[in-house]
Amino acid sequence: MSEKAFNLKKVIIIFFVIQLILSFFLYKKVHIGKDAETGKFSVSLVTEYEDLQETINKDIQPDRYIAEEKLPNPEQFTYNSKTIYNIFKKWFGNSAVLNFRLWRMLFFLDIFIILFAFYVRKRIKFIPSKIQLLMETFYLFLEDLVIETLGEKRKRFTAYFVTLFLFIWISNQVAILPIPGISEPTRNLNVPLGLGIMAVLVVHYNAIKKKGLVNYIKGYMEPLVFMLPLNAVGEVSKIISISFRLFGNIFGGAIITVVVSGLTKYIIVPVGLNLFFTMFQGTIQSFVFTMLALTYLSIEIAE
Amino acid sequence: METMIAKAAALLGAGICMGIGALGPGLGEGYVGGKACESIGRAPEHANLITRTMLIGQAVSESTGIYSLVVALLLIFTS
Amino acid sequence: MINEYAQVTLFLGAALSTGVASISAGFGEGQTAAVTTKAIMRQPGARDIMLRSMLISQAVTESGAIFALVISLLLLFGGFLDESVDLAKAFSFLAAGMAMGFGSMGPNFGSGFAGSNACDAIGRTPSQHIPVTTNMLIGQALSQTSAIFALVVSLLLLYTVPNMAENQEILHQVVKACAYFGAAFAIGFGTLGPGSGIGFIAGKTCQMIARYKEKQSYFMRTMFLGAAVSESTAIYSLVVAFLLIFM
Repeated sequence: MSEKAFNLKKVIIIFFVIQLILSFFLYKKVHIGKDAETGKFSVSLVTEYEDLQETINKDIQPDRYIAEEKLPNPEQFTYNSKTIYNIFKKWFGNSAVLNFRLWRMLFFLDIFIILFAFYVRKRIKFIPSKIQLLMETFYLFLEDLVIETLGEKRKRFTAYFVTLFLFIWISNQVAILPIPGISEPTRNLNVPLGLGIMAVLVVHYNAIKKKGLVNYIKGYMEPLVFMLPLNAVGEVSKIISISFRLFGNIFGGAIITVVVSGLTKYIIVPVGLNLFFTMFQGTIQSFVFTMLALTYLSIEIAE
Repeated sequence: METMIAKAAALLGAGICMGIGALGPGLGEGYVGGKACESIGRAPEHANLITRTMLIGQAVSESTGIYSLVVALLLIFTS
Repeated sequence: MINEYAQVTLFLGAALSTGVASISAGFGEGQTAAVTTKAIMRQPGARDIMLRSMLISQAVTESGAIFALVISLLLLFGGFLDESVDLAKAFSFLAAGMAMGFGSMGPNFGSGFAGSNACDAIGRTPSQHIPVTTNMLIGQALSQTSAIFALVVSLLLLYTVPNMAENQEILHQVVKACAYFGAAFAIGFGTLGPGSGIGFIAGKTCQMIARYKEKQSYFMRTMFLGAAVSESTAIYSLVVAFLLIFM
């Protein structure tokens, strides 16, 4: 026990010292690319003073930055090519930069998840390796939940819920990486909204498949007949509530991290905030989303 | 000009009406639901009867909420 | 002169949003912590499980206050005063802050109640902690739906209010300003009832699930039914708020 305490103190002291040293390089950035004056490829340290309001605007509303055209380095916002930017601007108008970042991030995330799945699949043996054990524990945990709520016959839904949980979880945890230009996909409103609409549509499709169209509509008049419009609006409110819960928590966490870190000059606070918002809230919100999708399904098709 | 001030006051009143009018039904229905769950725990063979009674009780206490909704809509839409 | 009013309402809205929402968040989380401590005193062997459930429930209760903090930060740092605003838009800032601030009070009380009852139930039957924690999370998420409605109304008030032309008379702007105020009151106080009510249902359901595990589906179905009916009052408030903003 005393050895553990000693190591912990050493780690904390080293951490503080590193943060202190890094804070001297607060306004210096490494610029890799074409040098503006000589036109040759170079790596250099550049001092840029950026005020808090500008950092936040660049993060949250990058298109306004381009529209007002007060950029010191236009290439970094227009992806090093005006033609790509013009294509996206024709499609999306005022949110070209945000949507391009979303598309890029989703593309790489999907490739990563598919490659990871193939990697784990190839290494399945009778005596499990570490990563196989991890994924199997996780799968069995969700399978027990699904069997308990939906019944033994509906085991095949487990794959859908595991996919939902893994996708949302990985999308939330991407926020830890401090690389500029990477932002988690669930930060844009479109991704949680799409996931919410998909979850509710799955519920309705399965309900119609099980109960038939007449019984399904009769289900809306459940306690008393005039509750039909109220129940219908209740379904829309289900979509709004699960999507906006995920969006509000993740986007809110991102805004709070940017603003509070800027105010405390990036010393120590970003680590604590990221730990809470990204790791803790990200896991809990993905679990809540999956459980709510599971419960909505179980109300309609439980035996 | 007086109609403008009246309209402003009407819109403000619609908001306050719906806001405070949703307090009662919300709390009441929640309480009923909680007690219903408790009683299902004690006597699970009567679960259907208890659920039906809960829904009827909730629908009746909803009626005051509907009154405030009607008053709010009247305030918004009539001059 | 309107710009000074705009600054006043902006700062007032930002302050009200976080200030009021934190009262209820603190209260709810504190209640959870108090009940958990008492339960640990009764059953010290299960303290790890109870501590974990308490932290999870407090995190979900906190999300109501997080929404309010987000609205405050958006108000302060979102660059709303870069262009000149008129009276109606100035009041929409105050309305957005009030809507989120008062709108998180009910759900936070409810989530606190649900969390405290769940931790108490785990204290009595520690072997059932997984179903009880799952049910507590679902119940708290249902209760937070009303806070999400308030968040939607606040975001609408911040981002979809048009800046009216300069030559509109002052009375049209006063009418619009009062409409936004009304919307803020409607959703602000309209979530007090459903939020606490659904939290109460969730708390009782958690206690019953801990006692009678085999009837879990009955309890969850009743909880959902009761929550859906209770939520309809919050939907009325949301509808009135939308009508007031857009007409």
